[in-house]
Amino acid sequence: MNARRLGAGDVFRLAAESLSGHRLRSALTLVATAIGVTAVVLLTALGDAAKRYVVDQFASIGTNLVIVLPGKTETSGVMGSFGGTTRPLTLEDAVALPHRATLVRLVVPLSLGSATFEYGGRSRDVFVLGTTSDYFDLRQLQMSSGQFLPPGDLRRGERVVVIGRAIQRQVFAGENPLGKPVRIAGARFRVIGVLMPKGVGMGVNLDELAIVPVATGMRLFNQQGLFRMICQAPDAAAVPAVVAQVKKVMRERHDNQEDFSILTQDSMLATFTSIINALTAGLAGIAAISLAVAGILIMNVMLVSVSERTGEVGLLKALGARRRQILSLFLAESLLLSAQGALAGVAVGVALVYTAAAIFPDLPLAPSPGWIVFVTLLALAAGIAFGLLPARRASRLQAAEALRAAK
Amino acid sequence: MTAGPDGARANAPGGPPADVIVLDAVTRVFQVGDSEVRALDGVSLSVRRGESVALMGPSGSGKSTLLNVLGCLDTPTSGRYVLDGEAVEKLSEDQLADVRQRKIGFVFQAYHLVARMSAARNVELPMIFAGVPPAERRQRAQEALTSVGLAHRLTHRPDQLSGGERQRVAIARATAMRPSILLADEPTGNLDTKAGDEILGLLERLNAEGLTLVIVTHDPNVGRRAGRLLRMRDGRLVEEP
Repeated sequence: MNARRLGAGDVFRLAAESLSGHRLRSALTLVATAIGVTAVVLLTALGDAAKRYVVDQFASIGTNLVIVLPGKTETSGVMGSFGGTTRPLTLEDAVALPHRATLVRLVVPLSLGSATFEYGGRSRDVFVLGTTSDYFDLRQLQMSSGQFLPPGDLRRGERVVVIGRAIQRQVFAGENPLGKPVRIAGARFRVIGVLMPKGVGMGVNLDELAIVPVATGMRLFNQQGLFRMICQAPDAAAVPAVVAQVKKVMRERHDNQEDFSILTQDSMLATFTSIINALTAGLAGIAAISLAVAGILIMNVMLVSVSERTGEVGLLKALGARRRQILSLFLAESLLLSAQGALAGVAVGVALVYTAAAIFPDLPLAPSPGWIVFVTLLALAAGIAFGLLPARRASRLQAAEALRAAK
Repeated sequence: MTAGPDGARANAPGGPPADVIVLDAVTRVFQVGDSEVRALDGVSLSVRRGESVALMGPSGSGKSTLLNVLGCLDTPTSGRYVLDGEAVEKLSEDQLADVRQRKIGFVFQAYHLVARMSAARNVELPMIFAGVPPAERRQRAQEALTSVGLAHRLTHRPDQLSGGERQRVAIARATAMRPSILLADEPTGNLDTKAGDEILGLLERLNAEGLTLVIVTHDPNVGRRAGRLLRMRDGRLVEEP
């Protein structure tokens, strides 16, 4: 005869009414939940920012890269192991590779050393990168003035240098460096260009780099082999084919021995991101523990509330409320508490993330929607889980005894 | 008293039973430590529809236990209880809740109003649990409060009302679901003489309109005003002429 339906709207209105009857207690519980949620929102945003930072760094050295290192590494480690029989990567390799590995868009050999850069009375230590004109394209560089390394036979070693802005600022002190004679490791060079600032990419600050032709660089530091060769695939889909082709060509050139290593940008990136993901999850887990504490607090508040309202439960039962209705009423209260806490926590967390992003503009900080959804659901689940015991206790009160207790 | 689900008196076929309350040899035994307490010891009682009954007796005589059993807040240890044609002594807890909702109105000495809710909202409360739609229950709450003379107090909270007004709200709440019986436990116990008289007058008016009334009281004056006076002693009923 009767519908016996207690609508969700009615349940939550009744729950809200009773929560507003204990403002301080409700507020404290809410704060506890909010702190846990804020911590998760903040820490996961930091973790994701770190990940984005690493990805950006990788992207800044170019895209779809296949890197050839001297020496064979058995693991996916970044450094090559320099065994005794290892043949170096030679300039001849760098010349031959683009002709035989036809899928490759660019092959850029790199040598690296550090030396003193002198002009006039001033000097400073710089990294000297030996490379070719293609490096300009690979790293999407821009000139501040002058020109980059000229194209041509990479075995020719001209004594020209392109410098970063930091070197210009510190060594030339406002003087126009173009055409000026400088000394690098004691050898004479002519400055032909100054790079636009680009900042740090993979730990190498372009602003503090002196770039010379690769043959010159190797001669300068008396190096037999290249630091590495960077090959660029035309697109992401072509990377595996490029890897295979580069490997085949290099094996043939190295007497069928694989005394070199090939890394792809993706595999390096994957290693980094999996480490950072694990760190982020760990941080989130620690923060989630504070949610459990908040849940226990909710349970306490609800237990106190149930024992305070024994008479009220008795009344509701006398008025015909079923067990299940009483249960849903008290569950709604704890759910409401945790939902408000989650909402407040997300709001504060997001505000803090944007504040931090404003203070540290270099970090790509932004709230992580996935984690926010996760932590909100977690808080709601905690509200239900920890609200269950008090709600059951309320629903199982004997009506007659509950009414008597209230007298 | 002959046995029969609807009690001793003849009923019109198909119509509601003439006896709204039929208790047959009802006992209620509580276990207190090692000993048993027989709070109700073979109580048999019939109350006709529209009757008004006062229940008196010293404390510990079993009045409250009887009221709890009548109100389906407690179930007898043995014996039968037929309420408005429905045997309720073996019902489950949820079924008892349904019976309370449909057939029983409660009025308590301490009013038992929910302090944080307005008078109208308090009256709505039983209808909320019965699933009465919001618009309808607001309307009915307003009508119920108007009929107890509180049309001007709809939005007042209990602490803004006098004791007499609070008990009127409680009575409006108890009658909102149009119950078969109204159980009042010391309804005037917390009130001064004037307010108590008004509440008794209100209850008598409802009774005159057809509502069956059972009042537990210590007040001989209240007892005298009822249509029938029952006295309890040691868990047994002693009816006075």
